[in-house]
Amino acid sequence: MTIVLNSKGFKLPRLEKEKFVSLIHLGLDYDRNAGLFSIKSYNNIEKLIETVGVILGDEVVFQQICIGCGKSFGCKECSYVETCSTKNLPFSCVCPKCLRGQSSEASLVNF
Amino acid sequence: MQKQSDLLWVEKYRPKKIADVTGNDEAKALFLDWLKNKKHTKKAVLLYGPPGVGKTTLVMAAASEYNFNVIEMNASDTRSEKAINAVAKPATSYTSLDSFSGAAKKAGGNVLFLDEVDGIAGNEDRGGVNAILKIVEESLVPVIMAANDPDVEKLRPLKKVCLLVRFHQVRIPLIIALLQKICRLEGVKAEFEALERIAQNSKGDVRSAINDLQSLSEENHRLTLQDTLTLSSRNKDVSFDDTLRGFFSAQSIADTSRLLSYSNVDYDDFLLSVADNLPKRYTDAAELAKAFDFVSKADVFRGRIGTENWHLLKYFFNCLAEASAVNPASYKPFTFITPPIRVITLFWTKGKRTTLDAICGKIGAQCHVSHQIAREQYVPYIRLILQKKPKSPLAAWFKFTPEEVNFLVTMGRF
Repeated sequence: MTIVLNSKGFKLPRLEKEKFVSLIHLGLDYDRNAGLFSIKSYNNIEKLIETVGVILGDEVVFQQICIGCGKSFGCKECSYVETCSTKNLPFSCVCPKCLRGQSSEASLVNF
Repeated sequence: MQKQSDLLWVEKYRPKKIADVTGNDEAKALFLDWLKNKKHTKKAVLLYGPPGVGKTTLVMAAASEYNFNVIEMNASDTRSEKAINAVAKPATSYTSLDSFSGAAKKAGGNVLFLDEVDGIAGNEDRGGVNAILKIVEESLVPVIMAANDPDVEKLRPLKKVCLLVRFHQVRIPLIIALLQKICRLEGVKAEFEALERIAQNSKGDVRSAINDLQSLSEENHRLTLQDTLTLSSRNKDVSFDDTLRGFFSAQSIADTSRLLSYSNVDYDDFLLSVADNLPKRYTDAAELAKAFDFVSKADVFRGRIGTENWHLLKYFFNCLAEASAVNPASYKPFTFITPPIRVITLFWTKGKRTTLDAICGKIGAQCHVSHQIAREQYVPYIRLILQKKPKSPLAAWFKFTPEEVNFLVTMGRF
């Protein structure tokens, strides 16, 4: 089963110091008060996702925000997921409904 | 002034605002955060990612939004230490002459933008990376760089002093949405599947997607899936010979333009081959002269395109197409000269050039001169001396081998 995470804040189980440091080096940020991790740098995103996946023991996917309707959706819903070379990044895209539906006109204004 | 309707859509719809740049939101946010923050932790920023994803566009849009003057150096400029210092040094100072003009008071200052820094290579750009490093260290203004491949060994020192911002390929849904918007503004009735196909074919390159849309729909203002079927041939390997054959047998300018835009031949080699074969194609002197005139214009555009100004490719194709269609009716099949004569010549003379280079190296080591000076100013005289007296002590002093002495004695022109 794929784990869907919110890039702006997600929880991880308690980590060993080395693992925590490596995640921070890879581009994660940690909010000590809220106990939430968030993505600070996207330069090593593939490695980061792989490492988080190993920690959680499953495939990790980040939620996408639709620039048309503003709702969250997963890459799984997209019909181009097989050919997409930038899965997970950026975290904003156009959801299938907006792309084919009436609201796509509204979304286009954002470009 | 150029009319709006004459513009390439890529230029017409080039984003003027940061918000209009498609995709790569995280990269945009990181870059803008750096640009707006006066106390940068890193003095320079390196935007990197595949071509056509909006690196240059973002810099230009940000500059326009924050009123920065962009001082740009790209791959078409020589970027040696001297050239970089000549352009960048004055630009990286806050007090430039601009600041005394009334209009510039509103400006947010200068930004130095070095595009395609991964292209800095070879003798022409000698010392370029070190000069950039120095500029970054001393600069009082933001220094922005862009590269397609940041893993080039030469860029390693630059990466240490730069904030790295990675750009990804723009996703298919985002490209489709952008194409939909352009279609709406241009009054093009397009099938969704056709736009989908263009977006998929572009492989994340927004620029090529917009160019494809324009070339397929500009004329009829309609776009069907059927119209986009020719796009698949872009990725097929149309051989050099087939392209050349198609070029010379084309019946119209449009035929040739289409052929060229779908072929992946090396444009420089192709241009040389066309020039080699034109005398075989046109036997009439007036037609040949006209064709060569178009080829020379194409050559000018190829030079202006360099590695960056691909929006001029259309004009390069047009000029070449005109050369192919000076008199379509006069075409008779002929045997092509291929590869280009220049390439063949370079191939056959490689051994000789290597020997001459080694000789120049030895002269340079003894006389403390460059290879070029040795070749131009020393070799002719050493050759004359050795022709008169092959066992001259000069040969031993330069440490020439008997083969090198023989080469110098017997060499024709160099």
